[in-house]
Amino acid sequence: MSITIDLAIYGSLAKLAGGKHLTKMDLELESGSRIEDLFARFNICPEDTSFIFINAVLCDVPGLNASKKEVLHDGDHVGIFSHGYMWPYQYRDGMPMSNSLKQAMREHGALHHTYTNK
Amino acid sequence: MTRKLLRINMSDLSATYEDMPEKWAKWAGRGLTSAITLDEIEPTCHPLGPNNKLIIAPGWVSGTPAAPSSGRTSFGGKSPLTGTIKEANAGGLSSQKIAKLGIGAIILEGTPKDGKWYTLHITKDGVQFDDASDLMGKGMYEVDDLCWQKYPNEPAVIGIGQVGERKLSNAGISVNDPENKPGRYAGRGGMGAVMGARGVKAIVIDDAGGPGVEIADMDLFKQGRKKLTAAIMQHDLTKKDGGLNSYGTNVLMNIINEAGGLPTRNFSAGQFEGAALISGEMVAEMVEKRQSGMTGHGCHPGCIIQCSNIYPNEEGEDFVSCVEYETSWALGANCGINDLDYVAKMTWECNDIGLDTIEAGNTVAVAMDGGLLEFGDKVGALALFDEIRKGTPMGRILGQGVEATAKAFGVSRVPTVKGQSMPAYEPRAIKGIGVTYATSTMGADHTAGYTIAPEIAGVGGKVDPLSKEGKADLSLTFQAATAFIDSTGYCLFIAFPILDIAEGWAGMAESVAGVMGMEITGDDVIPMGKEILKMERIFNERAGFTAADDRLPEFMRFEKLPPHNVVWDTSDEDLDLVYAWVNGTDE
Repeated sequence: MSITIDLAIYGSLAKLAGGKHLTKMDLELESGSRIEDLFARFNICPEDTSFIFINAVLCDVPGLNASKKEVLHDGDHVGIFSHGYMWPYQYRDGMPMSNSLKQAMREHGALHHTYTNK
Repeated sequence: MTRKLLRINMSDLSATYEDMPEKWAKWAGRGLTSAITLDEIEPTCHPLGPNNKLIIAPGWVSGTPAAPSSGRTSFGGKSPLTGTIKEANAGGLSSQKIAKLGIGAIILEGTPKDGKWYTLHITKDGVQFDDASDLMGKGMYEVDDLCWQKYPNEPAVIGIGQVGERKLSNAGISVNDPENKPGRYAGRGGMGAVMGARGVKAIVIDDAGGPGVEIADMDLFKQGRKKLTAAIMQHDLTKKDGGLNSYGTNVLMNIINEAGGLPTRNFSAGQFEGAALISGEMVAEMVEKRQSGMTGHGCHPGCIIQCSNIYPNEEGEDFVSCVEYETSWALGANCGINDLDYVAKMTWECNDIGLDTIEAGNTVAVAMDGGLLEFGDKVGALALFDEIRKGTPMGRILGQGVEATAKAFGVSRVPTVKGQSMPAYEPRAIKGIGVTYATSTMGADHTAGYTIAPEIAGVGGKVDPLSKEGKADLSLTFQAATAFIDSTGYCLFIAFPILDIAEGWAGMAESVAGVMGMEITGDDVIPMGKEILKMERIFNERAGFTAADDRLPEFMRFEKLPPHNVVWDTSDEDLDLVYAWVNGTDE
């Protein structure tokens, strides 16, 4: 069984998937694939990612790496951003978030713009 | 040498230099424009009448040697668009040159009795009132060129296009950039119409031979400057080749779209299928493909973040600066237009005729919603700017902004607060920004509560972002910190490095303290910001605004926004908490 997702990679990581500043593609994956399988597929170091979305739900923010175990489903849209993307706290305050990201934010103190000084 | 007030009375064509009154001595930038507006402008005056004034003020550190990214000029007064107090600020050449002339603020008042238009030439020797008939009816690209031909020393040019001449409510004020092009706009609130009502087409600032900026404690200033510069250069977002330097503010387009918070087709959806095509990443690809234009462009001398760009046209020529996030969203996604070349053409039109791009894009979107054009009609949208340029009846309606256009076309989906249309963040999807849109003293404004270091501001760890508790205090803190930064002359984008790097925060406060000789530390930022907000709130209350005006538009309470299918559900009581500390305390 396989699934097909719609993938977008933004910023410097786009080069790893054949683009320049952004890459968009339909991608066939094995059923049950997770975000970390996408990382492996394109040789993306998880620490080099920042914001990650699945179907407009925020699943990761810079420095927390809370999304690796998210399971993907057929028809999902995934957006992966490289480091260096600006998204001030107030402009994401109130956005829908995944449960794993909520848990990570509770553990790390949620009120930050980023969680890394990288 | 202390800062002077330059009072220019257009009624008798006089200019006087006054000592800075003690009550205003600690303020600069937005703090100073708001203090003067509160003290000198009748809140119930007509914004285009003889009793309104235009206040122009550089920030605390503007004009000092090598203070990084410190070229913001504040323009204040009563807004024709909102009827509230207004401060809009811009980059470009003016801030540092005004400050180097030893001027803390310019107060432009009165109306020429002869009905003529003037160019004001301000030098170390005073103010010259020149006949502006050679500039009348011209757009800002030509005005900037003519002013540099006529006046020496590559001066700053503050000017208005045809929209300001007609005193329409979406008229912005242009400041020329280092290449002498327009595009640095104090755009929001129609302050270009206030300048037009004073009979002034252009203000030319030449700082040659000026006294410079007095620095009370040079060692402290240098210490602060060093810390702040290091923080900016270290941070991922603001360093060379960082996010802002690479993609500009349009680095946000794809993020907000992925989040489902990108207002699309007049705020009827939260995602635009063509967002990537009008994003900062695409601007970078076009610069590389066409081998002209540039990213990493500085909008004023001394900027080390350099988030601006010069977009190249199809012929491979440098065309327009700057295609930034709000501009690309307003003229693109919100109109259903996915063609970056057309977004750039409309940006050029806004720069030339003198329009705020946010209000202009929202106006076209509302007109499309009312049936004037189909969403996505890029050719038709571009042609509307010609109507505005010519001053046809249609153009005059569109030049008045969103609310006037919505009435003209019978549209009820009107994304405004206090008469000013919303920027590129959908408050139904991004609840936090909605509190600030609703309660800002300026109308719906994304920079009113831009960003601040939560830990340093004392709210980190005290607010759970996953609940609604504490949102009022958080919005107030954001708004207060922004009011402070708007007074420094620093670009608001320094807020990112000073959040994550504590030395940067201290550096900002120390650089201000060094210039002004005031005892300012990081702990003073929020209280001083609240002082500014209180002045602005009191002005608005005296102008007739109440808590009932601190509301988002009705349709957001019942129209569900896809893809999350959410409505605005923050209660009025929660909104009223933001300024409860001011209401009823008016002396």
